[in-house]
Amino acid sequence: MKKLILFGPVFLIIVILAVWFIDGMGDVVQPIQYNHFVHVQEEEIECLECHQYAEDYARASIPNIDECADCHDESELEDEEEMTSDEDIIRQEMKRQEKKILFAYMAQNKKIPWRQVNNVPNYAYFSHRRHVKLGGIECVECHGDTGKQTTPIVRPHETRSMAWCMDCHEKENVSNDCYACHH
Amino acid sequence: MPKWGMIIDLNKCTGCGDCVTACKVENNIAVVGQEESANGRTMLWMDIITTYEGEFPNVKVRHMPRPCFHCEHPPCTKVCPVGATYLNDEGIVAQIYPQCIGCRYCQVACPITVKTFNWYTPEWPGRMAEACNPDVAVRPMGVVEKCTFCIHRLQKAKEQAAVEKRELRDEDYVPACAESCPTRAISFGDMGNPTSKVSQLKRNPRAFAVGEDLGIEPKVYYLSEVE
Ligand code: HEC
Ligand code: HEC
Ligand code: HEC
Ligand code: HEC
Ligand code: HEC
Repeated sequence: MKKLILFGPVFLIIVILAVWFIDGMGDVVQPIQYNHFVHVQEEEIECLECHQYAEDYARASIPNIDECADCHDESELEDEEEMTSDEDIIRQEMKRQEKKILFAYMAQNKKIPWRQVNNVPNYAYFSHRRHVKLGGIECVECHGDTGKQTTPIVRPHETRSMAWCMDCHEKENVSNDCYACHH
Repeated sequence: MPKWGMIIDLNKCTGCGDCVTACKVENNIAVVGQEESANGRTMLWMDIITTYEGEFPNVKVRHMPRPCFHCEHPPCTKVCPVGATYLNDEGIVAQIYPQCIGCRYCQVACPITVKTFNWYTPEWPGRMAEACNPDVAVRPMGVVEKCTFCIHRLQKAKEQAAVEKRELRDEDYVPACAESCPTRAISFGDMGNPTSKVSQLKRNPRAFAVGEDLGIEPKVYYLSEVE
């Protein structure tokens, strides 16, 4: 009986860890703890300011050091902000750490190795211009409310599959001929 | 709906092989070694068939560029058990690689032998892999492939026309072989439109098709050589 009581919690912990591990398995690790919330909601920067090509090309593009440098430079690290609580201090320190990583890349003139998480295989054709400009579809519809995200994007908003593309095409009365997408 | 087709003027063709090279590069077609090539595993979507007539010294050399004919009654699609190859509304015989199970029935069914099978995972010598066309899938081992009339160019051309708010024009969409031909022997366009250049050329008395007797109704026509 005693053994069982001991075993119960241990078993539970193992299950929890296993679920947590399996759930995170497909996730990628981004080089910087990038925060969409700060940029999009607090600072009100438009998606297209960073993902410049979403309207005009197939690829939306992920911004890199050149674009970051438009707003960020090393002098920021000296800025002292008023800190009232312990939480503020921790938050500030984390922010400084992430910015240091960014400035290290900028100083070496090295690209930030972002990992692209939304991917269609190379045998299918997907174009942002077709959907954003011609279709008038909002980013939210396919990527979720990215602006609320305080951590980097480590997985697609929803399971990406051909059925996902075709369901919307069916609804919108768009061609579902295999050769509309496959090449 | 357009019906895409091609006319090849054999009088203008010099057999230079530009179309073959352009096609190979455009479509990331795998390079097989010499040995494999000798086994009949060469991969070409556009090939030049060379024939020799007469006895030396009066030899006549003839060249015939041969892409997929994109037949209106394709024998290959009828034998595909999984629908990986089919005739689409615009008259292009499609080849959907992830759907293909590699049974090679279609390869056998094609009377003009345009289909090739990927016996290996494709490899390119040296840094050529970096020069692959990102618009075209690299086919994995175990699927059948063939000329697609450069479908990726059509996909982009349609989008460009939509952005410019106009109908697709013939000159918007040209496959790599036709574009590369230095003597403009290859014409490409909408055969459904009676005023298009290809429709006009098709009415030329020199026009003929290979395999018409088989009832496959190819959409690649040739203009015979004048002696
Ligand atoms: C119709 C659905 C759809 C819409 C609308 C859409 N996306 Fe995407 N997005 C995708 C898909 C699918 C991919 C994967 C594309 C690939 O692998 O080429 C992607 C990839 C991306 C990427 C990473 C790769 C790249 O293309 O550079 C970014 C960044 C991105 N989208 C941003 C945006 C933004 C910003 C908007 C709004 C302006 C937007 N997307 C609208 C479906 C969509
Ligand atoms: C249009 C201006 C602009 C651009 C472009 C921009 N940022 Fe920012 N970023 C800001 C502002 C404003 C803040 C909030 C104030 C601050 O902390 O300095 C911020 C904050 C941050 C922070 C701290 C976030 C936190 O946790 O509070 C990081 C890290 C950061 N940016 C990284 C980047 C990176 C990486 C890029 C390039 C991909 C980039 N930024 C591009 C304006 C910009
Ligand atoms: C200040 C610049 C900036 C702004 C503004 C911005 N993003 Fe991003 N976005 C990034 C950076 C940097 C990344 C790469 C890091 C990551 O994946 O979190 C990224 C990644 C993404 C990705 C994942 C791309 C992939 O597939 O890897 C999507 C989707 C995306 N952003 C959508 C949006 C949308 C939608 C908006 C507007 C609501 C937006 N972004 C606004 C900088 C920005
Ligand atoms: C939220 C709905 C939605 C989703 C999801 C979506 N599409 Fe679309 N797609 C559209 C609409 C709307 C159009 C027509 C745009 C226009 O007006 O030109 C379109 C058009 C297209 C076209 C051009 C079709 C033609 O007629 O030539 C292609 C190719 C395409 N989508 C591919 C994809 C792929 C690949 C995916 C999945 C990765 C996808 N789409 C997901 C809504 C969607
Ligand atoms: C709206 C665009 C679109 C159309 C239309 C379309 N596909 Fe796909 N297909 C895709 C995309 C995108 C993927 C990659 C999905 C992923 O991310 O795994 C795909 C993947 C596949 C796969 C790989 C397995 C899978 O389901 O992921 C097969 C097989 C396939 N397609 C066959 C077909 C056939 C056959 C047709 C015609 C009946 C067709 N597709 C029409 C976009 C499309």
